[in-house]
Amino acid sequence: MSAAMLEVRQVSKQFGGLRAVDNVSLSVRQGEIVSIIGPNGAGKTTLFNLLTGQLAPTEGDVCFFGESINALPPHARAKRGMGRTFQIAKPLIALNALENVMIGAFLHDARLSVARDKAFAVLERVGMAHLAPRRAGDLTLSERRRLEVARALALEPKIVLLDEVMAGLNQAEVGIEIELLKSLHAEGQTFLIIEHNLKVVRAFSDRVVVLDRGRLIAEGTADEILNAPAVIEAYLGGGHMGQGGAAAANTETMA
Amino acid sequence: MNRAEPPRSAVIESGQRALLKYLASMALAFLPFVVFVNDAHWLNIIAFTYLMGGLAAAWNIIGGFGGQFSLGHGVFFGIGAYMTAGLVIRYGFSPWLTMLPIAVFAAGVAMLISWPTFRLRGPFFAIATLAFNEVAFVLANHAESLTGGPRGLMIPFKAGFANMIFRERWQYALLMFVFVVAVIGICVLLRRSRLGYYLLAVREDEDAARAAGINVLAVKLKGMALSAFLTSIGGTLFTMYLRYIDPPTIFTLPEVGVKFALLSLIGGIGTIAGPLLGAALIIPFENWLRAEFSNSLPGMSLAILGLLMVLAALFMKRGVVGAIEDAVKRLRRGKGSGS
Amino acid sequence: MENVLTVLVFGILLGGIYGLVSIGLNLIFGVVRIVNFAQGELVMFGMYGSYFAYTWWGVNPYLSVFVVAPLVGLLGVAIQRLVIQPLQHEPNMQIFATFGLLMLFQNVMLAVSRGEAYSVGGPVGASVLEIGDMKLSVVRVVTLAAATLITIGLHLFLARTMTGKSIRAVTQDKRAARAMGINVEKTFLITFGIGAALAGMAGALLTPIYSITPAVGGNFILAAFAVVVLGGLGSVWGAYIGGLIVGVVEAFAGFYIDPVLRSAVWFVIFLIVLIVRPAGLLGQVGAEEVGFREQS
Repeated sequence: MSAAMLEVRQVSKQFGGLRAVDNVSLSVRQGEIVSIIGPNGAGKTTLFNLLTGQLAPTEGDVCFFGESINALPPHARAKRGMGRTFQIAKPLIALNALENVMIGAFLHDARLSVARDKAFAVLERVGMAHLAPRRAGDLTLSERRRLEVARALALEPKIVLLDEVMAGLNQAEVGIEIELLKSLHAEGQTFLIIEHNLKVVRAFSDRVVVLDRGRLIAEGTADEILNAPAVIEAYLGGGHMGQGGAAAANTETMA
Repeated sequence: MNRAEPPRSAVIESGQRALLKYLASMALAFLPFVVFVNDAHWLNIIAFTYLMGGLAAAWNIIGGFGGQFSLGHGVFFGIGAYMTAGLVIRYGFSPWLTMLPIAVFAAGVAMLISWPTFRLRGPFFAIATLAFNEVAFVLANHAESLTGGPRGLMIPFKAGFANMIFRERWQYALLMFVFVVAVIGICVLLRRSRLGYYLLAVREDEDAARAAGINVLAVKLKGMALSAFLTSIGGTLFTMYLRYIDPPTIFTLPEVGVKFALLSLIGGIGTIAGPLLGAALIIPFENWLRAEFSNSLPGMSLAILGLLMVLAALFMKRGVVGAIEDAVKRLRRGKGSGS
Repeated sequence: MENVLTVLVFGILLGGIYGLVSIGLNLIFGVVRIVNFAQGELVMFGMYGSYFAYTWWGVNPYLSVFVVAPLVGLLGVAIQRLVIQPLQHEPNMQIFATFGLLMLFQNVMLAVSRGEAYSVGGPVGASVLEIGDMKLSVVRVVTLAAATLITIGLHLFLARTMTGKSIRAVTQDKRAARAMGINVEKTFLITFGIGAALAGMAGALLTPIYSITPAVGGNFILAAFAVVVLGGLGSVWGAYIGGLIVGVVEAFAGFYIDPVLRSAVWFVIFLIVLIVRPAGLLGQVGAEEVGFREQS
């Protein structure tokens, strides 16, 4: 059993009177895909920001390869091997797709030619090599999402944190994205994802972790979790979660 | 994936092409000098155009590439100008020798004052830099023993290469040309370097930049230091050309600190050619305006420049270079060539 | 001890001037969230307008306010509609645009006035109020009174009227205000108009005190920035109190250190506040908002 790559130890985040994240512990091992799910307001985004360094925990430790990274700012975590995407995609609009990925590729080598070649390779990997010269501002949403994944991959990350990478994509686009993530996973890439789309979660998680009102209420395999009563309760207040995707996502917004 | 990968040179300009473009445009920029080499009046305008073009290009490094709109570059210009003059007058030090150390000092000052102010976003950053310029103006007026106060500093005429004082105007114009060639050359190299790309990333989206491992503050400081370094050298050249400086000449915003930004805006912010092109368009025009109107309507030239700034901000954000690029793109699309 | 009192009073009166000039800037800052570099020039227009009313028609500056302020207000509306609104998503270009306006306005006045300085001093400017041992300039006292009244008036306007409440809603959260049906663009127009009118009003009231030159706006703009930042965005009373504090600090610094270093005082205040407590003393706007990250 490999030691945990990313470990969250009893982490809490307090905002004034609100405990947005309450004593959450979880770990991600090398090569795993762990999904975090939960209704709106469950604290997923706050937890995510604690992992990426945008927020510092009020209590507890975020550990990466055994070392506490509480004090590390976001760019330092990226340097250590934590790649991430944003819920609202942030392409560098004035640059083309290749240059966007090069920004990530420059992390390990300052040479233009090396960064360029690596960026091309990554674009090819995500199936966007033909879009290399296109201005990032002109890309579709699905392409922008993949561009962000590509930029994160160019960092040669140990783990990639995906924040609702499927949001706003149609069925076909979701399918493409899932295939990409699956193939990356098959190569050994570790992922921690926040996801609303339960079809995605079912398709491609090793483990699922459920947050509700800041607390971790359940943890297990996709099958275990998606049928657990406590989880169903938290999401829907009754009713079943057979369909992932749109149906569950719609009911969630009422929470 | 069956779609063909585009040739790599189509995506990022190859080093060779960039070099050729650079040499060609510098040759083009040299033409006016050649044409007017015997006309003292025009040489003066050409010299200033080269100098301001170089200063605008220096501003463009942090303002255009980095997206940090500093209105306080007059401070670094002033450091170059005043320190050079002071050292010449007091100790007879050759500006060639003092130019670089002074520029390093200016870069240090830049990092020092930028470190707190980069925390401020957008307009507040601009206000803070503007305030620095005002403080520098006050200090220059106040520290009479160092700066000559309101009377300014005057460098006695002693021709000689070592003194950077020339008899012939064409020699000055040539000096300014070398300056702008050097600054733009540095910009070309920067644009193709990691720091250049990081500056662009910081400009476009700081959060995305951080997620890519970029230390945003460090990048901004480096960009600012380089920009200040080059601006200071421009200040040295300016002083040695005019041989007389006083606080208003150095620190009046629309003439100096803001002018660098204005030229970049008109020519094309964030582009390589923009700043010099902006200078080429504005400096001779401004000269003409001043000659025509300074008696009848004082301030007309600045009023028109102000209007141009407003219009450019509204209608031509990417400047002349941007307008040309858009036109070329439209032509290409019209011709039906595939994208 | 006597000296301290004199300096303090002078500082308070000076603070009244700063508060008067800054209140319009603060409103625009807080609501439209732009830095109006040309605000000092709007004050300048107020001064010139008042001066011309005085020299051509013999109108007392304090009365010309009623004509000058609305005119400058209209100019403000035009600026917002034509220049600021198209650039609402581009803060960097806003800097260029408003600075360009500054240059345009200043130099047009320079061309028109041929660089002559005007003055409306005369009997109005010279009269002095004697309280105990202190001689207070009447116009400065009137200015302080005007600043106070205007602050109260604006506060009531924002608190009690429908328009005022929409302005406050937009200040708090543009998106939520829009969702509630408030016409945000119209609110911006009104706000800029009011802010400009306030600047014009300040100019008219200050005519007896200052020598009127095209560059006179520059006297105020930096101090006004310091006042607005210190008082806090979106707070009417913040501008007033901030003005008093800046005035007093400047008076003491000028008396005990060096009068030349006034702009240094503004700048130091500005910088310290932004680093230590960006929201200012009474700011309505959260610290992370200061710096105008786009609210969309």
